[in-house]
Amino acid sequence: MHEFSLATQIVESVKEFTESRPGNQEVLKVRLLVGELAGIEAEQLRFCYNSITRETPLERSRLEVISVPALVRCSRCLYRGVPRYLKDSRAWTKVPTLQCPKCGTPAEATQGYECELKSVQFAEVSAPKLCHLPTGNHRGTSLNAP
Amino acid sequence: MTDAPAVPVIEASPQEVYDIELAHNLLDANARLARDNRALLDSHGITAIDFMGAIGSGKTSLIAGLCERLKSGSGLAVFNGDATTSTDVEAIAEQGVPVVQISTIKSCHLDANLIRKALGKIDLHQTGLILIENIGNLICPPEFPLGSKARVVVISITEGAYMVKKHPHMFLGANIVVINKIDLAAAMGVSVAELVRDVHRLKPDIMVIPASCKTGIGQDELAAALLDL
Repeated sequence: MHEFSLATQIVESVKEFTESRPGNQEVLKVRLLVGELAGIEAEQLRFCYNSITRETPLERSRLEVISVPALVRCSRCLYRGVPRYLKDSRAWTKVPTLQCPKCGTPAEATQGYECELKSVQFAEVSAPKLCHLPTGNHRGTSLNAP
Repeated sequence: MTDAPAVPVIEASPQEVYDIELAHNLLDANARLARDNRALLDSHGITAIDFMGAIGSGKTSLIAGLCERLKSGSGLAVFNGDATTSTDVEAIAEQGVPVVQISTIKSCHLDANLIRKALGKIDLHQTGLILIENIGNLICPPEFPLGSKARVVVISITEGAYMVKKHPHMFLGANIVVINKIDLAAAMGVSVAELVRDVHRLKPDIMVIPASCKTGIGQDELAAALLDL
């Protein structure tokens, strides 16, 4: 379930960013880097992000999850590159290992544990911020009154 | 939302769209606290080891066994992560070892902040070794380093023959794997050697210790391995 707390953190970070800037922004896209070894489920994360941002100023923004492949290095044969993957006919997903694909000795991961808020794409808008809800109020019905 | 009142929408023209790089590491808050914990532990000459594994894999029994073996002279303390109960704490307190219960209530893992708070509850000057029992969970704890020197994964024969293959992620960041309840291997029809092979396929250099809290096998070896870290 930490996809939900991660999504909350992303939303908070994006809010902090927009509030730190002068003027008004409409956030369009939030890009996140997620490493192959990071154990984070992109689909669940997007679902949580969309649930949290519903009826908030971030409602129209999209969370884009960019996956970062795992890379390893072997101190014995100096191999650098993609890890060895487990060969199991019953595994429906490829499973990275920390075994050197060249010589079979222990390898060290050099990439793949990322969980990074990479960038925010937004538009500067001239009108005042609309439907800007107080923190924690995700319903915001009062602001819709004519 | 069909019944929501109309909200004014601002459409941006393409020339007004900006991209700003943030490069903000989201797991960094925990990682930073974990580094602080480690620095605090190191400054007091304390080694902390955390135990991860499924509910019922035998983490508490294993730690209770380690308490028996390590409590004299090592300045041992135990942090016990448990969602709601104090069952595990009582098992450790019986041994006369200082113990802190960390109740996560609804959370599925311990994090560095909870460990930081627990460190404030013990006398660091009297402590040399801390065993930390994580919440019974196979997915989340690896993402959250605590500041420990080593991470132990406890699996057990009763979790079946495919345990390692099904949860490979858990093992990549671990330093020691304990295969517990090996006294039940024949009854369960599970091969200990095959589980050891599965672990080594993921991480060839990891230490694997077959153990049983019932017969005591493997426990001296584990205690020695922890003192060797």
